[in-house]
Amino acid sequence: MSLERNQVINEFNQQVKPVSLWADAWKRLRRNKMALIGLWIVAVFAVLTLMAPMLPIYSNTEQEMKHINLPPSFKNAGQVALETLQRKANQINAMIANEGRDDLKPELEKVMAEYELIKAEINVNPVHKRVYLMGTDYLGRDMLSRTIYGGRISMLIGFIGTITAVFIGIIIGAIAGYIGGRLDDFLMRFVDIMYGLPYMLVVIILMAMFRKEGQSSVIILFVAIAMVSWLTIARVVRGQIISLKNAEFVEAARSMGASSARIIFRHLLPNTLGVIIVFSTLSLPGFIMSESFLSFLGLGVSAPDASWGTLVSEGVQSMELFPWRLLVPACVMTIFLFAMNFLGDGLRDALDPQSKNRA
Amino acid sequence: MAKYIIRRLLSLIPTMFIIITLSFFLIRVAPGGPFSGEKGLPEQVQQNLLKKYHMDEPLFRQYLRYFGDVLIGNFGPSLRYKESSVNELIAQGFPNSIILGTVALALATFAGICVGILSALKQNRWQDYSAMSLAVIGISVPLFVIGPVLQLVFAMNLKWLPVSGWIFSRAGLKTLILPALTLAFPYFAYIARLSRASILEVLRSDYVRTARSKGLSEGIVIRRHVLKGALLPIVSYLGPAFAGIITGSIVVESIFFIPGIGKIFVQSALNRDYPLIMGEVIVYSLFLVTMNFLVDVLYGFLDPRIAYK
Repeated sequence: MSLERNQVINEFNQQVKPVSLWADAWKRLRRNKMALIGLWIVAVFAVLTLMAPMLPIYSNTEQEMKHINLPPSFKNAGQVALETLQRKANQINAMIANEGRDDLKPELEKVMAEYELIKAEINVNPVHKRVYLMGTDYLGRDMLSRTIYGGRISMLIGFIGTITAVFIGIIIGAIAGYIGGRLDDFLMRFVDIMYGLPYMLVVIILMAMFRKEGQSSVIILFVAIAMVSWLTIARVVRGQIISLKNAEFVEAARSMGASSARIIFRHLLPNTLGVIIVFSTLSLPGFIMSESFLSFLGLGVSAPDASWGTLVSEGVQSMELFPWRLLVPACVMTIFLFAMNFLGDGLRDALDPQSKNRA
Repeated sequence: MAKYIIRRLLSLIPTMFIIITLSFFLIRVAPGGPFSGEKGLPEQVQQNLLKKYHMDEPLFRQYLRYFGDVLIGNFGPSLRYKESSVNELIAQGFPNSIILGTVALALATFAGICVGILSALKQNRWQDYSAMSLAVIGISVPLFVIGPVLQLVFAMNLKWLPVSGWIFSRAGLKTLILPALTLAFPYFAYIARLSRASILEVLRSDYVRTARSKGLSEGIVIRRHVLKGALLPIVSYLGPAFAGIITGSIVVESIFFIPGIGKIFVQSALNRDYPLIMGEVIVYSLFLVTMNFLVDVLYGFLDPRIAYK
């Protein structure tokens, strides 16, 4: 009787294909529409920024003094420049007529001279055939191109920061969790104290003091951000390893003579991979925000490099007159952070369905 | 409990010690000095200046001297703002930063919990979706984008509120609205998500079912039973929120020109104004570790399941 039943169950088991954790997670992720949209947006951003030098966009560093602060438009740059100058001339004219500001007359002449100059060469100079979809900045650089190249730097910093944090965090967390005892106490006490530090202040001090004027400070930025960012992942990995290290499969591996390193890297860490992936996706936007926060304070990436944070802080300075210079990088950055957050949430739901600390 | 509080209080001492030591040496090993930026300063004058501030002594002696001064609450003179001491500068700015931070945190907590409750009770309806979309916006959009955009819309275009300024000026309390909203928004978003998730979890728990089966009205169940259990994760989030508000206020204060200590922090680091940076770091850290301590104690009172050994 029971033999027969076991046979039936065995046959049933052979018909059902085993589903791996990853296939299962992928299935759950695909059902989550917002996460999928996020995944697509992140993919598009990644392709655009990786292929930036090959894209048919204008240079992000070349300055075109005839095209300063042009608004976004589908029209040719020469046309837009003429319209902008015309509007400026009208404004000055109105001020002279209404408020009697005769001191503005030289200004008006300058604007008219530039107008005539561009009008004369509009059909000759190929520069005026350009189309600035996102407008230009205060040095006549293409905002679209600057935003794409800014994304390159921001995303690179986010990516490298995450990898460093995960790398250090895994090693320290795994050692603390697996060995335990005094070493664990010491490491976790250290992590606790580091948590108590106002870490952004430390990063600000580091950046303010160690960067040199006129030299790209991306490396210092990496070090500063990575130094303080591995704490959370170390705690998470440690917790996971402690809960797994006495499981039967680890005991089995140990009884077969596996070394500690092999147990950690082959048996324990793969089981924490889900948590690590989720953490990475959710912390990448955090790194991008930290970087742009520093760049906004004038402490992050320095010229000629520009990140999204640099662009936003440049845009803020003139947002009343030229709002697109703030809105273009701000919107692009926000869309990316949005997508990353949705993707991270989706991944967490997919990889860790019973997650207790959803928020 | 009393024992735990004392032990926890004592653990603040090594933390503060490490913070002071670490930042002291971190600041001093950086290249450049407070007077190297001033061009045309003769060598002899530089030497005399260094001597005046005891900066020609060996580093470790300076450290001991500084530590002794800090223990009696003296942060020394500012090297850049020559007419005032660090204590005075901090005493001027700190109340403003505290007002901004407290208003922002109170706003974030209150609005966050309210929106969280609403979302959880109307789960998967339009109220829930719109509230949670707002929350994702709050988490994704950086402070320094929210601030200027609010300025652009409400101050420059609609002219409802002043662009910048502070409460002691003529515009009064109106000047507090935009900066507080800006600073509160990300934490509001996070608290809303957190409270929604934890309320949903508590709503499914056995003791809530019991409370309902006793015949209690829904309002009482929510207020007496659900909220009490669901507030715990929010209380433990308050610690990180304090840290975030401190750093956030640095940006918000410079966007809205608020005379707090955040605004001079970056400048003091760029100026190599050693005593001023140290003073600010110590004040910020002391504030932060005290708040973390209070949060821990509060947590203990709220959650009787935690046994303090």
